[in-house]
Amino acid sequence: MSNVFSRMFDRFRGSGSAAITLPPMDGAMRPNTRIDEAEEVAAVMAPDNLAEGADGILLSSGARLLSLGPSKKTDTVWTASSDIACLAAHPPGTLAAGLDEGRLVIRGGAHDGRAFTKLGDLPIMCPTALAFADDNTLIVCLGSRDHRMSDWKVDLMTHGASGSVWKIDLASGASTCMAQGLAFPYGVLATENGDIVVSESWRHRLLRISPDGRVEVVIDELPGYPARLARAGEDGDFWLSIFAPRTQLVEFVLREDEYRRRMVETIDPEYWIAPSLHHPDSYLEPMQGGSLKQLGELKPWAPSRSLGIVVRLDGNGHSVESLHSRANGVRHGVTSCLPTGDGLLMTCKGGDVVVRAEI
Amino acid sequence: MSAREAYLRWRYRLFPDHVVGEILSKNWIDNAIPFMFLAIAVAVFSLIIPNFLTIGSLGTMGELLAEYLFVAIGMTLVLKAGGIDLSVGSVFALCNFCALYLVNALGMPLIVVIPAILALGGLVGAINGFLVGFLRLRAFLTTLVTLILVRAIVELLSLNFGVNASYSETPVPQWDYLGAAQILGMPLSLVVAAVVALLTHVLMTRMRFGWHLSAVGGSRRSAYNIGLPVKWIVAQTYILSGVFTAAGALFYASRLGSIGGSVGVGLEIVILTAAVLGGNSLGGGRGSVAKAIIGTVIVVMVTNALVRMGLRTGASDLVLGLILLVAVAIDVKWMKNRLKVLNRAYVSPTYFALPACPPTAEGSGSPYEVNNKLATAQPIGKGELDGPEDIILDEDDNLYCGSRHGDVIRFFAPDYKKHEVYVHIGGHPLGMAFNQDRELVVCVGGMGLYKVTKDRKPVKLSDETNRSLFSIIDDSRMRLADDLDIAPDGRIFFSEATIRYEIHDWVLDALESRGNGRIICYDPRDGSSRTILPKLQFPNGITMAGDGESFLFAETWGCRISRYWFNGPRKGQTEVVIPDLPGYPDNINKASDGTFWCAILGMRSPTFDLAQRMPQFRRRMVYRVASDEWMYPNMNSGCVFKFDLDGKVLDVLWDRDGIKHPSITSIREHKGRLFLGGLFNDRIGVYDIPGADPEWTGIRHYWGGKTGE
Repeated sequence: MSNVFSRMFDRFRGSGSAAITLPPMDGAMRPNTRIDEAEEVAAVMAPDNLAEGADGILLSSGARLLSLGPSKKTDTVWTASSDIACLAAHPPGTLAAGLDEGRLVIRGGAHDGRAFTKLGDLPIMCPTALAFADDNTLIVCLGSRDHRMSDWKVDLMTHGASGSVWKIDLASGASTCMAQGLAFPYGVLATENGDIVVSESWRHRLLRISPDGRVEVVIDELPGYPARLARAGEDGDFWLSIFAPRTQLVEFVLREDEYRRRMVETIDPEYWIAPSLHHPDSYLEPMQGGSLKQLGELKPWAPSRSLGIVVRLDGNGHSVESLHSRANGVRHGVTSCLPTGDGLLMTCKGGDVVVRAEI
Repeated sequence: MSAREAYLRWRYRLFPDHVVGEILSKNWIDNAIPFMFLAIAVAVFSLIIPNFLTIGSLGTMGELLAEYLFVAIGMTLVLKAGGIDLSVGSVFALCNFCALYLVNALGMPLIVVIPAILALGGLVGAINGFLVGFLRLRAFLTTLVTLILVRAIVELLSLNFGVNASYSETPVPQWDYLGAAQILGMPLSLVVAAVVALLTHVLMTRMRFGWHLSAVGGSRRSAYNIGLPVKWIVAQTYILSGVFTAAGALFYASRLGSIGGSVGVGLEIVILTAAVLGGNSLGGGRGSVAKAIIGTVIVVMVTNALVRMGLRTGASDLVLGLILLVAVAIDVKWMKNRLKVLNRAYVSPTYFALPACPPTAEGSGSPYEVNNKLATAQPIGKGELDGPEDIILDEDDNLYCGSRHGDVIRFFAPDYKKHEVYVHIGGHPLGMAFNQDRELVVCVGGMGLYKVTKDRKPVKLSDETNRSLFSIIDDSRMRLADDLDIAPDGRIFFSEATIRYEIHDWVLDALESRGNGRIICYDPRDGSSRTILPKLQFPNGITMAGDGESFLFAETWGCRISRYWFNGPRKGQTEVVIPDLPGYPDNINKASDGTFWCAILGMRSPTFDLAQRMPQFRRRMVYRVASDEWMYPNMNSGCVFKFDLDGKVLDVLWDRDGIKHPSITSIREHKGRLFLGGLFNDRIGVYDIPGADPEWTGIRHYWGGKTGE
């Protein structure tokens, strides 16, 4: 009962659960233009997931699997039957891909040709991230039970929390659920000691899940929606792509049930007040006060539903450094990154470009 | 439309929320709480005390009230300048004693006694004033010391002269008259107090001294910095307080003739309670005679009631003390949170459902279909202009535009490379037109309607109109004169976008979506201004329809264009020409082929349209979300379209990528070219209109060829 009252009070005051206060982007998260200034590696339509294959860098773009050659060239390695939603590679030449149609396929290596459409009793709906724990074990994130990857906005704006994380033994095909009830797990990383780190996007946090099922929060209150993770080096650091920033207006709309319901029912998702992967490209999209162009210019600090953010976190989840594309840039919606010998590769899904920044 | 929406529509139509905020924004709202307290006190006491409100009882209260009122008004003056006068109790006693001594012992006539006693009060006040004002001692301590010193003097005096003062050998009828007279059933003292209250009210609200008091009390440092004699002003308040206290004491003395030791004891607490309870701020700067009156009435009533309820003297003081404590607490909290409350209550969005948005996408076949024709527009003054909302060209093809800095800037024909400040008006010059004498008439945001004479002098034409009957905020002053056009008979019709907000808060008006704007007619023949069309949704562009009887006007948030007849058989009628624009229209101007151009300063977005139908949602957004993060009408994209009087859209010009002209607020056709202005832009655009009359100019169309030709 007191809960009801405190919620009503919060709603009246705009405090507690109704507060839309956002964590500031300061310290190591301070905005810069490192993504905007990064070197363009390839212009690709909606590049999504990077993976380091046996003989080069692979990335997904729509239904195509591309390999990144030198001199900005990409070669199509494989065209899948539907959009490739996520990708993972294992050095001996094994490649795992999650398809938007709800299928998981293994190419190459010992388990070539294996495919999954169900994990346990759960049909695969929305594979979002994959990682190999070892030659034989694949970790899978399923973002939602109800919506496909392409409908991620719907899942967010309807407070979806039906995601789960699975471990598949590729040899036997047996799968075990490691965690469920997650709000869109969108990235996964297997660590040496058997734990996995998962980014829970709609709750803006990273979780550490141990093999015995214990779940622990690594970092909470991120200023954006975390996507995929990549190991930074041998010292336990890792890279986190944040595909869109949180904004006060979206947080506010997420708390406004009637408005959200009517928006979801009557308006094209492209024009919602929701995080976005790309810089606004239509006047039908919502505009916020600070984004009003003054003297023909959009200010870099303008409120934006899309930004490009990549953060390096240490083993404790503290941010160490970050790379940004700001409101006046277009390299927004970074969904994955991969450190290589000569820099950090990033896929700007909303900016249709793959870039490499020095680190 | 769902039942809920129908309910919302009627709820917002029938219950005007904005009135609450407007009432709260009034200065007199400070009096509301004390007044309510008074009403409650009257109700309670008349319920629990029989005959509380009978004439006899009111008469007794009236005498006491009058005496207290004098002192309370004096205290109000001191409080308003930021001070406090605790010495009133003993000054009261001193004046009481001296008055009785002069009358009873020395037998002086009233004509001497009254000025003498007033001067005595003033003298003690002057001592306070000198110490507090000029030597800058702390008011609280200083007047506390005066309180004790003067009380000691009174004790000494009554010890030595008490016997003589207490009784007069011969009766003094005038003196008794002062205490006992009634005028129209009211004690004389109350009548005099009322007159003094009225005069002090005039002094405090209508005269220089009162304004100086507010300035000193509101911010002593600022008052000093603007050159006010702060020390002298502060000193004066104590002198006046002393004089008023003496006046109260005179009536008291004549009424009771008492020299008892308890006269005036504790009076300072009573008076302070009255003043603060009425709403005079202890911090200074806020206070009025009305507040003093309300507070005094409450205090007198409460003391009277307590006596009649049989409470002992001590208990009565206790109650008064508690009331003072509560009043001070409310004063502090109210002063601190007043603006917060006001801010929360003032913005009050209302329900507004726009008609369906016509399509604009490429390939949709809509008359508004997106193209990229304005990509060829050439810039004028790029990077040198700041907010050219409107533009106009004169007979020599020179171009005039406004700027955010309050200038009208002139670019010289033929290449528009050189420019100069034509005239500095201030405000933000918005809509422009030439009148028959080829003088530039300008709507200036924040100022009103101005014209610029041929020798470049700005002349105010109008900055106020008739106040509407039931307005709560003063709507006679103009806040945001926006665009104008001139009828053939010389009358100037101009729009005022909103009466509730200043120009920099225009977006709040968009979020309210209420008809806050109006169209005003200025008649140069007698210099009068009248509101002819009230309650419009951000009326913006105005242009004559060309028949001498009607004009077209655009309502920005209403996304429609209407026509109004000011003459002829349809005089007074309004007709909607285009009800459902895909964006927010700004200025309208003539095209060379007899049709009209209209600038669209921003496009409708589905999320904003939905929010317009959910007023509570917008209201919460305004309070919860930082203003830079608010949902705005999308003004990063606009276009220009051409239409005729039947509402048919004939042409549309877009800057598809929104790089040169993200938002367009005005257009002006001149010799086959279209000039584009933008309130947030840094340039004017020039677009060559294919097939337009290369000789047509607006000024000739309106007023004929050059004078003398």
